Amino acid sequence: MQYGFYIDQRRCMNCFACVVACKDWHDIPPGPAAWIRVETIEKGKYPEPVVAFLPVACYHCEQPACIPVCPANAITKRKEDGIVVVDRDACLGKDKCGLCLEACLYGVPQFGAEADATMQKCDLCLERWAEGKKPVCVSSCPMYALDAGPMDELIKKYGKGKEAVGFTYSAALSPAVIYQAKHQSGR
Amino acid sequence: MNPVKTESQTEIIRTICNSHCGGNCEMQVHVRDGRIIRIEPDDREGRPRMCARGHAYRQRVYATDRLLYPLKRTGARGKGEFARISWDEALDTVARELQNVKSVYGNAAILHFCSMCDPYTLHSVGAFHRLLCQFGGYTAPWGFISNEGAAFAAGLTYSTFRRYLATEHSPDEYFNSKLIIMWSWNPVDTEQGTLTPFALMRAKENGARIICVDPRYSDSAAVFADEWIPIRPGSDAAVLMAMAYTIIKENLHDTAFIQKYTHGFEQYRDYLFGKEDGLRKTTDWAEAISGIPAATIARLARDYAVTRPATLTTSIAAGRSAFGEQYHRAAAALECITGHLQFKNWQSPPSKNLKFNPQIASPPNAVEAGVPPRRNALPFRSASVNSGARVNVSLFADAILKGKSGGYNADYKFLWLSNTNYLNQLGDVNKAARAFQKLDFMLVTEQFMTATARFADIVLPVTTFFERTDLMAPRNGRVLGILNQTIAPVGECRSQLEICQALAKRLGIEDYPDKPDEALARHIVSQMANEVNLPAYDTLKTYGIYRVPAAEKSPAVSAEPQPFGTPSGKIEIYSSVAAKMENPLIPATPKYIESWESLNDPLVKKYPLQLITPHYKLRAHSQFDNLPWLRELLTQTVSINSVDAAARGIKNGEMVRVFNDRGEVRIPAAVTERIVRGVVAVPQGAWYQPDKSGIDYGGCANVLTKNVTSPGGAFSPNTALVQVAKVVA
Repeated sequence: MQYGFYIDQRRCMNCFACVVACKDWHDIPPGPAAWIRVETIEKGKYPEPVVAFLPVACYHCEQPACIPVCPANAITKRKEDGIVVVDRDACLGKDKCGLCLEACLYGVPQFGAEADATMQKCDLCLERWAEGKKPVCVSSCPMYALDAGPMDELIKKYGKGKEAVGFTYSAALSPAVIYQAKHQSGR
Repeated sequence: MNPVKTESQTEIIRTICNSHCGGNCEMQVHVRDGRIIRIEPDDREGRPRMCARGHAYRQRVYATDRLLYPLKRTGARGKGEFARISWDEALDTVARELQNVKSVYGNAAILHFCSMCDPYTLHSVGAFHRLLCQFGGYTAPWGFISNEGAAFAAGLTYSTFRRYLATEHSPDEYFNSKLIIMWSWNPVDTEQGTLTPFALMRAKENGARIICVDPRYSDSAAVFADEWIPIRPGSDAAVLMAMAYTIIKENLHDTAFIQKYTHGFEQYRDYLFGKEDGLRKTTDWAEAISGIPAATIARLARDYAVTRPATLTTSIAAGRSAFGEQYHRAAAALECITGHLQFKNWQSPPSKNLKFNPQIASPPNAVEAGVPPRRNALPFRSASVNSGARVNVSLFADAILKGKSGGYNADYKFLWLSNTNYLNQLGDVNKAARAFQKLDFMLVTEQFMTATARFADIVLPVTTFFERTDLMAPRNGRVLGILNQTIAPVGECRSQLEICQALAKRLGIEDYPDKPDEALARHIVSQMANEVNLPAYDTLKTYGIYRVPAAEKSPAVSAEPQPFGTPSGKIEIYSSVAAKMENPLIPATPKYIESWESLNDPLVKKYPLQLITPHYKLRAHSQFDNLPWLRELLTQTVSINSVDAAARGIKNGEMVRVFNDRGEVRIPAAVTERIVRGVVAVPQGAWYQPDKSGIDYGGCANVLTKNVTSPGGAFSPNTALVQVAKVVA
């Protein structure tokens, strides 16, 4: 079983509700660590700018780049749902190691501002599934731009979109995400 | 009914976020050991979901800079030097000063304003209004800071408040539209009904073509626009008039609609065709003012006239400018001329006003007795709101500085500001600072040591809505929401109602409501239940926002309007009320009137850039500016077009000076392709942080705006000229 995200980029309005809902739910202090972020992609010249927004959490890749490079075996992929989780006690920290951040194509591993910060990242709200709830980013999105669940169900519902403005699909990593992409013109 | 308890002894209590952002969102507040540990969104389908600000609210409740105790000023006004005092000392001082000013100067010398930021029914202006009226009266404000231009225009045109906000369009109206024109409207950032962006997205997905006319390519334009038409600030009315001119000239107007529903089309047509002033309001004329190519204006006009259904949503932002009411009147005229105006949203049941007023009742304000109405009073407003004793909400600084000698009704000595960072949020911060220095006494009820509170003699710390019970109970009877108290007050904070109750005792007012807020809430709900179908109070507590179902026998929604309260009984494109004001700056038909600080002003040589002060997605006015989870997401900047930046040698991210004769702000520049050339944007609401020389490093837009209102009464922060320059070390 592989769980993943569905992201309708056309609907994302850069409101940051998911970003702060995630920080509040997971009690992440202010600082550089954010388990989900929204990137703004801007291109083009006045008066025809091209703007798109891209929420980025963790893609819980089928072949995660972060796992083989971790010298402490701190990162694992759960058999039952494919969710990639990190054992922060085992992590060596960004200052001593940081290899996962170098390996990830999507800038997913997050580190706080503190010295010896250990890796943290999106766990697809593991404990919310146990209560029958979807991840808090999904539940908080005012535009219903996000969904999450078993990939086969998501594919059935939303198709197989692998492209989005600002995102490059890696066949080698096979990120567990389905996109509804914004047109490259930004319209 | 007991709140839900999960196995870890966390209580989940529902409440409704209430931050004067334009939305109302449902919250599930997780409370453990008396502390909020999480705020979860409402996961019920179709319910309003919170924005980033709502999700960050825990940081506001427990902010390290939250005011926890009453304070008295120990240093000079504005310095922010205070000492902790007891509630008894604070309230005794306030009561003594109120009695003093009353006996020496009379009640009119007391000026009070409570914003809608945070308090709702029980803790809002009604609580203060009753107290001060029972005390013998006070000078109350009039006008809406957000939308007086729109309200004034709607008053003249329809003799009603209706149709002044974007929310007067319904989700169905958007969904069924083939064309939506979003005029200076950025609902992605400004809420205006939490569900509005989603309704627009559903319309877009249903095939609506969306055109944004806006000085900025806002995030709303980025999400919704098929086309962006950049426009210069202050030119909106001219473009709408050129559209009307084109439509009439090409005979695309809806004669049947005009004849049936409107009054004064001929006079407006004569104005457009130059019969009054010899000037035809052509697309070439509007191009010169707006910077929009004439052909684009003509195409937009034809598109809007012939596409059905089409929706024109003119935001209140462009109305917050010099002659902003003319923009709103021109938009209303265009909607009528083309027959696009839809009536059905005006009366969806149950929308008749309740007989019972959920607000705290009050005796008349004695200060207003016998004072004639203002010259720009509107007949549909109450005698009290129209009273010449009131001060325009945007002009407190001017009124305090000038008093009777400036034509005001009184000299103002005692200022009480509640839940408003007034100094930060109204025109010309430095002028407001001078005005506050002149006061005999200033009282501020607040959650934080704002720029305004720094000037107060006494600061009383108030609760957030998590720490008290309140009601969302509009008089249209369509919805009811109980804002459940979720935690005990933080520190020694008291609610607005408790403060008024305690002052009433000290002022010898015996019949001020003395029940706790929840008892009052129960009473209001039981009274409302006589008129609309409501569940029991304890059931309502678990609902969040309860939508009152339409009564079974309610009349069908009519496509026809109710009779209008205007003198002609029709929608007045020509307003006889305006005509009677005999003020050339409040003309009877909509007119384009060139603003002060326009591009034709000689001041342009010194200050060549037009400033706009848009709303910011991470603040609700000045609220939330101090929360770390929000501050780390975006930086307060001045947006400037890349061409204008290059001409000044300014690079993206570089600290710059934004200045005019009123003041100077230093913030980083955001060099962008997303704003019209010649215009810069400083989002409103950032907290004023002056250095010793008065230069603001917080990025407070109103350091640069002018303290003057439009003739109809609109706050005009989007009319100001500035210069931007590199900081020379």
